[in-house]
Amino acid sequence: MYRAIRTAALASLLTSVAAVAVTVPAAAADKTFSVGALNPVSGAGGTYGTGMQKAIILAAEEINAAGGACGTRIAVVAEDTQTSPEAAVLAAKKLVEVNKVQVVMGTWSSGVTLAVMPITTAAGVPLMNTSGAPAISTEDKEDLVWRFQATNGRFGQAFSEIAALRGFQRPATMAYNNASGLGNTEGFEQAWTARGGRLVSKVVYEPKQASYRSELQQILAANPDVVVMGSYLPDTTIILREWFQSGENPDLKWIIPGWAANEKLVEALGPEVTAGIIAVDSISNENAPSYARFGEAYARATGEPAGANVYAAMTYDMMILWGLAMQASCPDLAPRAINARLRAVDDPTGEAVYGFAEGKAALEAGKTINYEGASSQLALDEYGDVTPDFSLSVITDGKIVRERVVSLGVK
Amino acid sequence: MGSAYLINLAFNGVILGLIVALAALSITLVFGIARFPNAATGDVATVGAFAGLAVTATGGGTAAILGFGVLTAAGLSLLFYLILFRGLADKPPVASLIASIGLAFFVRAVLTFFVGHNQQVYPLPIVRAVPFGPLRVQPTDLQVIAVAVLALAAVFALLHLTAIGRRMRAVADNPDLARASGIAATRVLVVMWLCAGALAGVSGTLLGIKTVVSPEMGWDLLMPAFAATILGTIGNPVGAVLGGLLIGLAQELSTPIVGFTYKIGVGFLVLLLMLLVRPQGLFAGNALVR
Repeated sequence: MYRAIRTAALASLLTSVAAVAVTVPAAAADKTFSVGALNPVSGAGGTYGTGMQKAIILAAEEINAAGGACGTRIAVVAEDTQTSPEAAVLAAKKLVEVNKVQVVMGTWSSGVTLAVMPITTAAGVPLMNTSGAPAISTEDKEDLVWRFQATNGRFGQAFSEIAALRGFQRPATMAYNNASGLGNTEGFEQAWTARGGRLVSKVVYEPKQASYRSELQQILAANPDVVVMGSYLPDTTIILREWFQSGENPDLKWIIPGWAANEKLVEALGPEVTAGIIAVDSISNENAPSYARFGEAYARATGEPAGANVYAAMTYDMMILWGLAMQASCPDLAPRAINARLRAVDDPTGEAVYGFAEGKAALEAGKTINYEGASSQLALDEYGDVTPDFSLSVITDGKIVRERVVSLGVK
Repeated sequence: MGSAYLINLAFNGVILGLIVALAALSITLVFGIARFPNAATGDVATVGAFAGLAVTATGGGTAAILGFGVLTAAGLSLLFYLILFRGLADKPPVASLIASIGLAFFVRAVLTFFVGHNQQVYPLPIVRAVPFGPLRVQPTDLQVIAVAVLALAAVFALLHLTAIGRRMRAVADNPDLARASGIAATRVLVVMWLCAGALAGVSGTLLGIKTVVSPEMGWDLLMPAFAATILGTIGNPVGAVLGGLLIGLAQELSTPIVGFTYKIGVGFLVLLLMLLVRPQGLFAGNALVR
């Protein structure tokens, strides 16, 4: 709570600064292209928002230092969503109508992204976000919305990959009854059955129950060897405790998303109950040169390691990818024209590039390129969603120990 | 789907029902005597659960959690009566109802400010279940049953075996007649609010032992507790307890047919059907606390 207040105070200070357009020093170019950085500088996302905004500016500086994209320098106009759909809508309107920005990037929570989408889409302005809700993909009818964060369905695919890696034969699923929980387990079921596997049982449960024993009883009766969860921390705590207390299937393993299988879970249940739990989280593109370059610039600018803010790497990639698409679309710099080139600079058959200058040179040499981002390999799919890597961690002696990185194949 | 499966479901329903019944009994006592539905019941239960958490920091076990949780909740409940509900007693019941809703929000906001939204748990040892024939009984469930039954027995003993209990029932039955016979309303109300707070505290700490402690836990308990109160006729203590058990059993036993997502709906369907057939509740006739 205290931290939240401090963050809010800091954020209001920052927004008063950010409301002024941040001008990025120009290199050779004289034309400018306005980009809206719409981030959660205050509110629940305040921990990440400042870093996300900084990352967009860093990427813009990188583009301008390389002579701009298509001879045009990038000007970033920064705004705060306050992690609130109402405030975000006002800020987005201002960016689009007053500042005349031609792309908006960096919305964080799903509620904010879903609220801002109609405004940007109506103005023909692309929107790049870091939200998880599946509805964002289906509501994006004009292919103007791009997602740099793993969807809940992607998490499900990662679960399936991990279940196969571990040689599980009889998985069951338990999902919290909302879009995120169901997205995880349905994504798992789809990927698992595509491999020719089958589920022995599945349960969708209601939140805020005093007990999940009846739900567990049905799952345990099917004698699964692993339970795949689409869950949150409180329900996961209760379910695991009741499973352990029941003494049934003591060798059962659990695959749980990282936001539920974390230090708080270990703290609540202790090392014995949590031993062997498999925690899965989406991670940055940690071994790529683009991540190394970004990490260095980010640490210099903010004094924090890039690992402290996974969303900053995503917003950095938004700006770099957009710059490359501008270069590829040259000389037509209409937002829709650039938007149509985003997949072309993320072409899996193209030459892998890890930064703007490198990509620009390759494009000028007439090559097809594949930007490998700092946050992920990108690999935008038909919905405009990225395909990030995941970490597989196992809780051992009360510690969350990362075992390996899991990459999903690109279709 | 064997009988063992159903027996286990029924057992889960009883445990769930008992926790709801305790909160429902608290609501029904207040309604019977102070004549308004107390929406702050759930948040008093939450405070009880957090008070129990404070004791664990000094190494307290289950008994200390329950004891301190119940005392704190009872004290808070009395405080609310003295500073708020006593002054509203002459106003229409809706004034007290609205005040109790405001109080509920206030308590939760204060609690959230100090402890945050994160979940907490009582650091109690996690013990394996013991099989009783087809039934798997967890030691914590036995504790829940024992404590709930004791608390209910104590309240009914107070109501029916003591002089103050007789006065409480008299006030519930006919406040004017009670006053005319020389019953001091304030003493009755003080005992009633202490009792209602203690029951909420038992309900909150037991829920905390079974699940996790969070600022929203009591508010989430309020809806099923109100349903149980109405099902068992508002103001009727036996009805509140049976109402809670009935809702718990109906929810869990319906799961093989309706699945887990709709079981909460079944609890309210029972309530709806009952209100259609018998709007006064199951145990009307000999109404209120009498």
